[in-house]
Amino acid sequence: MTPLLEQFLSEAHELLDGTDKKLMQLEKAPEDETLINELFRLVHTLKGNSGLFTFPEMTRVLHASEDLLGMVRGGQMAYSRKLTDQLLEAMDFVGLLCDEIESTEHIDASRAADSARLAEALRMLLPGSKAADAPGAGTAISTDVNKVHPAPAATPTPDLPPLFEIPEAARAEAFRQCGNGESLYWIDYTPTPQCFFQGDDPFYTARRTPGLQWGRIVPPEALPPLAELDTYRCVLRFQLLSAASREEIAEYYRYLPDQVRTIAIQPQWLVTPQGGLNEDPTGAVKASARSADALPQLAEEDAAELSAIVAAQRQILMLDDHSAWRAGQLKSVAGVLINASKVVGDSTAQKQIESALAQALTQSQGAPLLTWLDAYEKKLSSKTAGQPDVSSCCNECEPERKPDARRSASAPEESSAKAAGDDGPKFGRRAEDAFNAPKSLKVDQAKIDRLMNLIGEMIVSKNALPYLAQRAEVQFGVRELSREIKAQYAIINRITDEMQDAIMQVRMMSVSFVFQRFPRLVRDISHKLGKEVQLVLEGEETQADKNIIEALADPLMHIVRNSLDHGLEIPEVRRAQGKSATGVITMRAAQEADRVLIEIIDDGKGVDPAAVKRKAYEKGLIDEAKLEQISDREAVNLIFAAGLSTAEKVTDLSGRGVGMDVVRTAIEKINGTVQVDSTVGKGTSIRISLPLSMAVTQVMVIESDGQQFGVPMDHVVETVRIPRSAIHLIKQSQATVLRGRIVPLKALNTLLGLSAEPKANADDELAVLLVQANGEILGLLVDGFRETIGIIQKPLSGVLSGLSAYSGSALMGDGSVLMVLNIKEVV
Amino acid sequence: MPIVFKKNQAMFRDVVGVEEAEELLGWLQKKPTATVDLSACSHLHPANLQVLMAAKVTVADWPKDSDLRAWLETALKIG
Repeated sequence: MTPLLEQFLSEAHELLDGTDKKLMQLEKAPEDETLINELFRLVHTLKGNSGLFTFPEMTRVLHASEDLLGMVRGGQMAYSRKLTDQLLEAMDFVGLLCDEIESTEHIDASRAADSARLAEALRMLLPGSKAADAPGAGTAISTDVNKVHPAPAATPTPDLPPLFEIPEAARAEAFRQCGNGESLYWIDYTPTPQCFFQGDDPFYTARRTPGLQWGRIVPPEALPPLAELDTYRCVLRFQLLSAASREEIAEYYRYLPDQVRTIAIQPQWLVTPQGGLNEDPTGAVKASARSADALPQLAEEDAAELSAIVAAQRQILMLDDHSAWRAGQLKSVAGVLINASKVVGDSTAQKQIESALAQALTQSQGAPLLTWLDAYEKKLSSKTAGQPDVSSCCNECEPERKPDARRSASAPEESSAKAAGDDGPKFGRRAEDAFNAPKSLKVDQAKIDRLMNLIGEMIVSKNALPYLAQRAEVQFGVRELSREIKAQYAIINRITDEMQDAIMQVRMMSVSFVFQRFPRLVRDISHKLGKEVQLVLEGEETQADKNIIEALADPLMHIVRNSLDHGLEIPEVRRAQGKSATGVITMRAAQEADRVLIEIIDDGKGVDPAAVKRKAYEKGLIDEAKLEQISDREAVNLIFAAGLSTAEKVTDLSGRGVGMDVVRTAIEKINGTVQVDSTVGKGTSIRISLPLSMAVTQVMVIESDGQQFGVPMDHVVETVRIPRSAIHLIKQSQATVLRGRIVPLKALNTLLGLSAEPKANADDELAVLLVQANGEILGLLVDGFRETIGIIQKPLSGVLSGLSAYSGSALMGDGSVLMVLNIKEVV
Repeated sequence: MPIVFKKNQAMFRDVVGVEEAEELLGWLQKKPTATVDLSACSHLHPANLQVLMAAKVTVADWPKDSDLRAWLETALKIG
């Protein structure tokens, strides 16, 4: 199992647990929008992940679930108990598939039918599902409801395939195959009209069908006149006859179970042509006539082995006469032959051999047995080369070697699942499944976090020792003790530093962990979309904290999918624009100071700011005034706003307006920033900047109005002291000129609502902290600068969490609390 | 080019992909009496096949590839 697959499974289990929980909660609070949103995202992510592998059965069900949840989310349908039931069953099925993948690394092809049934059941819940208006990939399924669920299996002869239309030669050959105990299936393959756009070549698919015996192309009732023909709308159907097993066929068509109808063929159907065609079925009839005294049916290999055995016995009988062991020899030969006939179920042969043996023993020579062998071999050879035996196929008295044929006789359409609903198999693995001992030790994220928090607290308490030493000296006047405390501190300091480093090392992972899944993703998706894409990965060895790397996986996936789907153009368009036919997506990771920078660059068509603006306005994300003012760059960054998608329609990949929103939320959660730059026609570059580690944040401590505040170092540009005389007033705002640049100044006290004036030092200079916020540089007037320290930042909780001016708080070495400013919000 | 358009005959070569269908359609509309030579064709995308079927085009030469020929005969041999 590849690490990628392992990762997928572990994530899938987590996500499934999440969906189960959310579904249960939703049942109690069906109106809760956040719950619906979360549920939708879980399913969306799961579907996206499953698309990385060849698990169409899983993706199909998830896609249907997603569609359903999308409708609920959009308020187009109400949440209901029935919905929960169906979704829970779908999730259980997905869980079952996951377990199956875990043990066998693939999904059995037989699941395709269940999958189609579940997806169908889900789509039935969609409003107006009976009509062909289900969105996305649903069309095919809903239009072909009757094809997927043909007549129930109990009906003796459901609508028989038009076998009589098969040319005589092909039918005779098929009959022979059938008679040889091979399974034979009629396949009705109706590609979806849009399949050309998905890069499918149904004709090729049909031609490559395993075990293909015969096939034909069925034109529609009436082809439109040439002038009205839509070249790219598939109107053809294919009818095939295949000698492959049902499993093989299901496996081959596993991506299109909804477009394929498979019917097991019974041999007599081939003999008796239905309908009025006056063909001569002589071949078949002759065969059945001749079969009266034929041997029971044998598979070809068995027949070959049987003749080998018979030939060996003949050689033994031909050996030179050694009367001493002649009797034993004869008995052994007869014994072998009797056993052989028992195996093939030929009871008359057994008796014949027994009587031949008795004769041979009395005559003390092998002649009677040889005579029998001659006759038997003749029968054998005519059997393997000649016509098949019809009686044994049709009669129920046939030995159990052919369970396939018999089963299919009673159930010509076994792949047709029972009507969606109560009769279908349940996948309730939660209730009664056995406990599987985990193969690997999985440590809960919370435990790792705890370890990290503990070491953080240790650093803080260690920092209290210098204060203690100072007190010992100043307050109590014991210099000696103070020195000893300092010496101890030095040791503890070294150890905690190393310990922190060690824990950080354990948690460090290289970016390749997330990057490695992309070559496959890009390849598969680009093939699906008919685009040519080259993926360039750079700086995979860059390392960052595990939390960061893991949190990166989903956003990156969404970004890359978006680039593939909306960014890169199809080769024809690219060529027309003078670009190379192959689009390039570059994923680059690099470390810059204490941050990781990740860039995803594509050379596609870029984001059109006008389109984004319009869409954002339509969705009410910006008002009219903003619409006028907003710069192109800002507009492009609106793609990260919730619920905005410029794509025209929802596809398998993206376009639900959820992707970029998820990206921003996920990245901001780990204190990262994301920015997009785009030139129409040239391409898009998305830059993500993340902290190396979430545990320790570097802040600069500043003082203002007698209080201390922390400013994250990411925002600090520089610290300067400016003489009061250099500060100019432009209307109401203060500004100064620094190295030829005008820098707006704001007093931190004013921003925080403190009434005190900024304090100047003895030379009448003011302390200015230059910070970078929202892409601009700004000077903050403060009272003074303190040291830069590493802190463990804790988010504000309770009533304080509403204070957007602070991003969190931290405990200082002396026990005081440091408030960390959220510069973006403050300025 | 997988399809070579001659005066009144289109010659299919090797594998004819989906991209050719549009051009084929345009060409056949202009030349309703045209025939096709499929002898060197090993596979053609069904989009092209639909066009040939809709145009009720006369096949001058069937593919040498017997498998393909058998398939195409089911679709293109009218009556």
